[in-house]
Amino acid sequence: MMTAEFQPRRRAILAAGLGVAGLALAGCAGTGNKAAAGGGPVELNLVWWGDANRAKVTEAALRVFESKNPGITVKTEYQDSGPYADKLATRFAGGNPPDVLNMANRSLLEYAQRGALADLKSHPDVLKLDSVPDVVLSRGTVEGKLYGIATGVTTIGMVVNKTITDQAGVSIPDDKSWTWQDFARFSEQVTKKTGGKVYGTGYDVSTETGPILLARQRGEDFYTKDNKLGVSEETMRDWFQFSVDLRAAGGYPPAGFFEQIGGSAAQSYLAKGTIASQIIPINNYKAFNEAAGGNVVLLRMPGETESKRRGYSADPSMLWSMAAKSKHPKEAAKLLDFLTNDVDGASLTLTQRGVPINPNVAAAITPKLSGDDKKFVDFMADIQKDELPPAYVYPKGASVVADTLKQVATEVEFGRMTPADAARQFMDKSNAAINK
Amino acid sequence: MSVLTKHPAAPPAASEVPLRPPRRRRNGAAPKKKQRAGYLFLLPWFVGMAFTVIPFFASLYLAFTDYNLFNEPTWVGLANFQDMLQDERLWQSLKVTFIYTFVSVPISLAAALVVALMLNRGLRGLAVYRSVYYLPSLLGGSVAVVMLWRYIFGNDGIVNGFLGMFGIDGPAWVTDPEFSLSTLIVLNIWTFGSPMVIFLAGLRQVPAMYYEAAAIDGASKWRQFRSITVPLISPIIFFNLIMQLIGSFQTFTQGYVMSGGTGGPADSTLFYNLYLYQKGFTEFEMGYASAMAWVLLMIIAVFTAINFIASKFWVFYDS
Repeated sequence: MMTAEFQPRRRAILAAGLGVAGLALAGCAGTGNKAAAGGGPVELNLVWWGDANRAKVTEAALRVFESKNPGITVKTEYQDSGPYADKLATRFAGGNPPDVLNMANRSLLEYAQRGALADLKSHPDVLKLDSVPDVVLSRGTVEGKLYGIATGVTTIGMVVNKTITDQAGVSIPDDKSWTWQDFARFSEQVTKKTGGKVYGTGYDVSTETGPILLARQRGEDFYTKDNKLGVSEETMRDWFQFSVDLRAAGGYPPAGFFEQIGGSAAQSYLAKGTIASQIIPINNYKAFNEAAGGNVVLLRMPGETESKRRGYSADPSMLWSMAAKSKHPKEAAKLLDFLTNDVDGASLTLTQRGVPINPNVAAAITPKLSGDDKKFVDFMADIQKDELPPAYVYPKGASVVADTLKQVATEVEFGRMTPADAARQFMDKSNAAINK
Repeated sequence: MSVLTKHPAAPPAASEVPLRPPRRRRNGAAPKKKQRAGYLFLLPWFVGMAFTVIPFFASLYLAFTDYNLFNEPTWVGLANFQDMLQDERLWQSLKVTFIYTFVSVPISLAAALVVALMLNRGLRGLAVYRSVYYLPSLLGGSVAVVMLWRYIFGNDGIVNGFLGMFGIDGPAWVTDPEFSLSTLIVLNIWTFGSPMVIFLAGLRQVPAMYYEAAAIDGASKWRQFRSITVPLISPIIFFNLIMQLIGSFQTFTQGYVMSGGTGGPADSTLFYNLYLYQKGFTEFEMGYASAMAWVLLMIIAVFTAINFIASKFWVFYDS
């Protein structure tokens, strides 16, 4: 009925067919030309996530790579981490993956176990990894194959805006020994002493790095050696319960307070001055300190000495991977070697993506670091003086786990679910996703 | 081609009702040549068709496969459809989409009709008003406006600032799962401009003589509206209803931007299409996502069919 007016239908379809054929021909011609260009100069495509600041130093480092490797140019693209993950998936799906790419811990196995990533051990002559500690390489290794090299190592820490706590007259507890209860008391005091203008803390309940640390402190591995979920339901319940209690006591903002627009330091609530402390990946310490007025102190996470073992581990901030379909694996391996082992390049990127994993490189750039970055590097060195339990690769399904944590954390935030129910649901959905 | 002439294809044609009567065509001269020219102008559309038709059939095939985007799809028969029955988040996404559609479509159509009626009373500067009301429907689906909406309804936004003046402590419109969807519904209602413009075009086709005759017979304004306006523009109401329904079943951008792609808080803005996207591109279950796409097509087809059947009882094609 709606198409009653279209008469020349048959012709239309015929013409459509011709159009498709023409398009297909055009497509063939296009790819043919490109393929023929092999042998000459090589253009690598490198993609990563981050902000404009990171872009500046990354580009500068890549120019160094190009001058050291005539005939190879590197074209880059970057986005914020959320859109980056979406775009990466579509590029792989479309059969047009980048040569070298940033990979999140939680996505590594999702790509690797589907055959999308190259084994980085297959270019030992170009990509040299002798200086990199095994414990770091293990975080990119699956079934004996190396699918990702850490861009650097980092961990999480508590940052406190000391200007606010000084004004409120609240002293910051000793972070070498503070317990979760100390942290809660501290937060409540800040809120009370500022008359509710500033909340004591606004750490993110819904990012997995928090419960991962808590689980480790209690002797559980959030993700186990055999790529399963190892955290107990009880730990998850306590993680949620802690935030509920802290909110009830006033140390944590009311439900709906956080609107999550962007994840950068400049957009953070710490920078706005409406909260006095939060948990961050500490390679961003410098950015947060600058955004929040320059008097931000970096603390260890609470609870490190109150339980069975240390919760800390030196984790890859993110990983570098190579697409299995890269047309220039040799050149891509060269680029990875540069990103991992080259002091001149690292002198520009410094600790943008964590402490360099090659100890010689880390040592060489240390004198060049600013005060804040120096604090970060020292912090990393400090925590590794203690005996830290091993940490493992995130399993396939880890991004569903992350999404699930977000969902149930919101349910708890608005009192629509008890911590116990949330923990149960988290376990059910996460196990289902990982074991699929 | 006015609404008042009997025409089987009146509803779709109504959207293209020109505001002025079309000029009379000269007949005769070289119809073949003209046809060729016609196809030439249609060529871009045919080329564009390839980008629709191929994925269309590909997705039908993929709906019956397990396909993770990286490896070759493997045939699994109806497994995807069976899984859908047990998928709680799928049902949640259906709930969100249905609430959104069945609340916002009637309200936005009513708003569109009311504004069109007001503008049809021979306002000076009609073109300006028309543009002003039409603008939101061009912008409403855009990322920038959804971002703006987030700020307007944010905790420190204009809305809560306004409520604060009366001592009301407004809720967290965007982050509270109880309110987040209604914020998006308001956004959708605000974009009533495109049905409004179509209504306006339709209203202008209703001959003034009907109203004159009714007025002479002593019919009230309300009576005139009910007995003349509504029946004569019923094909246009019908057309708008169908288009709005289809459009709102397919909502994606608003949910994606408002929640940063998660469908949160707590899945309260998890639109069907957003969940489909998550399945396909963050969970890498493209087979399942394709099956979802086909189920959505079926849902839309059913609702459109119901509408067409029901239309026999209320849509009036004047003869």
